[in-house]
Amino acid sequence: MSEMNFDQVLDCKGMNCPLPVIKTKKAIDAMDSGQVLKMVATDPGSKNDISAWASRTGNELLNSEQTDEGYVFFIQKK
Amino acid sequence: MLTPYSANELFNWLRQKDDFLLLDVRNEEDFGRFQVESPHKVDMLNVPYFDFMEEEETSVAKVPRNKKIKVVCAKEGSAQYVGEILESHGFEDVGYLKEGIVSWGNMLAPVRVNEEGEAFEVWQFIRPGKASLSWGVISEGELSIFDPSRNLEFYTEFAAEHGCKITQTFETHLQADYISGSRFISKAVGSKVYGHSGDFMGASFDYTAVQNGDIFKASPNGPDIEVVHSPGHTPGSTCYKIDDTFVVSGDTIFLVSLGRPDLGGKAVEWAGMLYETMTQKIKTMDPTLQILPGHYIEWAEADEDLVFMDTLQNILDSNAAIYGISTEADFVEFIKQNIRKQPDVYAEIRKVNAGWLDPEDDEQSSMDLGKNECAASAYAAQQSA
Repeated sequence: MSEMNFDQVLDCKGMNCPLPVIKTKKAIDAMDSGQVLKMVATDPGSKNDISAWASRTGNELLNSEQTDEGYVFFIQKK
Repeated sequence: MLTPYSANELFNWLRQKDDFLLLDVRNEEDFGRFQVESPHKVDMLNVPYFDFMEEEETSVAKVPRNKKIKVVCAKEGSAQYVGEILESHGFEDVGYLKEGIVSWGNMLAPVRVNEEGEAFEVWQFIRPGKASLSWGVISEGELSIFDPSRNLEFYTEFAAEHGCKITQTFETHLQADYISGSRFISKAVGSKVYGHSGDFMGASFDYTAVQNGDIFKASPNGPDIEVVHSPGHTPGSTCYKIDDTFVVSGDTIFLVSLGRPDLGGKAVEWAGMLYETMTQKIKTMDPTLQILPGHYIEWAEADEDLVFMDTLQNILDSNAAIYGISTEADFVEFIKQNIRKQPDVYAEIRKVNAGWLDPEDDEQSSMDLGKNECAASAYAAQQSA
């Protein structure tokens, strides 16, 4: 799934909560509807947080996976 | 000023029934899976930190203004974040839990069990985040610990405060629900580790195998520690009788149940062993013995000093539904009726406790988080709740 299309990358590796979600929110706010953000984080807490944040805000979490570089999320702006 | 607080401070406030709001800002799923459990009723609210990010005004409006606010999150960053938002809205008394919910999960609270002035001291170490109990005996400057958890710092500080040294630790069984501290303590202070070969055979660390009827000493002239092999929860499950007065019962006897025998995947076989233990070992013990269990299910089991202890007689009388079963077939049937899934992580924790796995510290902390699932009954009530 890593070859998913995306429009922008956000690197949150090494950051602890709440930063990955704050930065994701800022990035998504600045994007256009339908665009996809690839976000990479290393904080294990971001897994459930990003998923809960996405369902709360209506942005769609297209995919999330654990890879060698960390937790990778693909989020589509609503 | 946003003030940090420790898990121990939080426990003391809960214990004293202080008036405050516990504001947990983790996502709902994590909150639902594991949260602070208090000896007394606590005012608790879950509003995820990203709600404050998305809808600041609405989220702040959910927080009562007439109370002290204690914020909890996974690590501590999000609690600080929310705390700052609350302060910017005029909240004056806001604190955040240092190192997050994990520190609550690891926290141990010591309670003296026997009276001051006795020849030896019996201590209970409550781990509220796990609903588990370890026990200590201090005699002639020597501390024996039963079923220590992996909070090495706590036990060494406790020993230093009480002017004693940790000389030995006793395992009642190979734990599946939390990571044992025995080998970490042993490595740090050179204490001996005791356990039954029925569980510990093949362990990667040195331990002294105990056998039914063995008698050890808490200190050279201290009370006896007598081994009572009590298989069922696991084949190597063992109770330790102290001074013919107390029984550290591990996951064999709980105040309101027995330890479930199905965790090893051989429910019928181990239930048979447990039935034999119940009829031949437990019910033949002196009924006035004080039972010191390895877990509790509810805070309501504790007395007003928060000690989880009762006489064997009271336990047998008040749990007749399980202790009163009079045939092995009925007992096995009861166990089968009460079987429920065990957390996936238990298989991994067993390997860590046998020394076959040695994950990183962070990984161990995360494996070790969450309430235990060790009792054979009192489950149906939780299911329907």
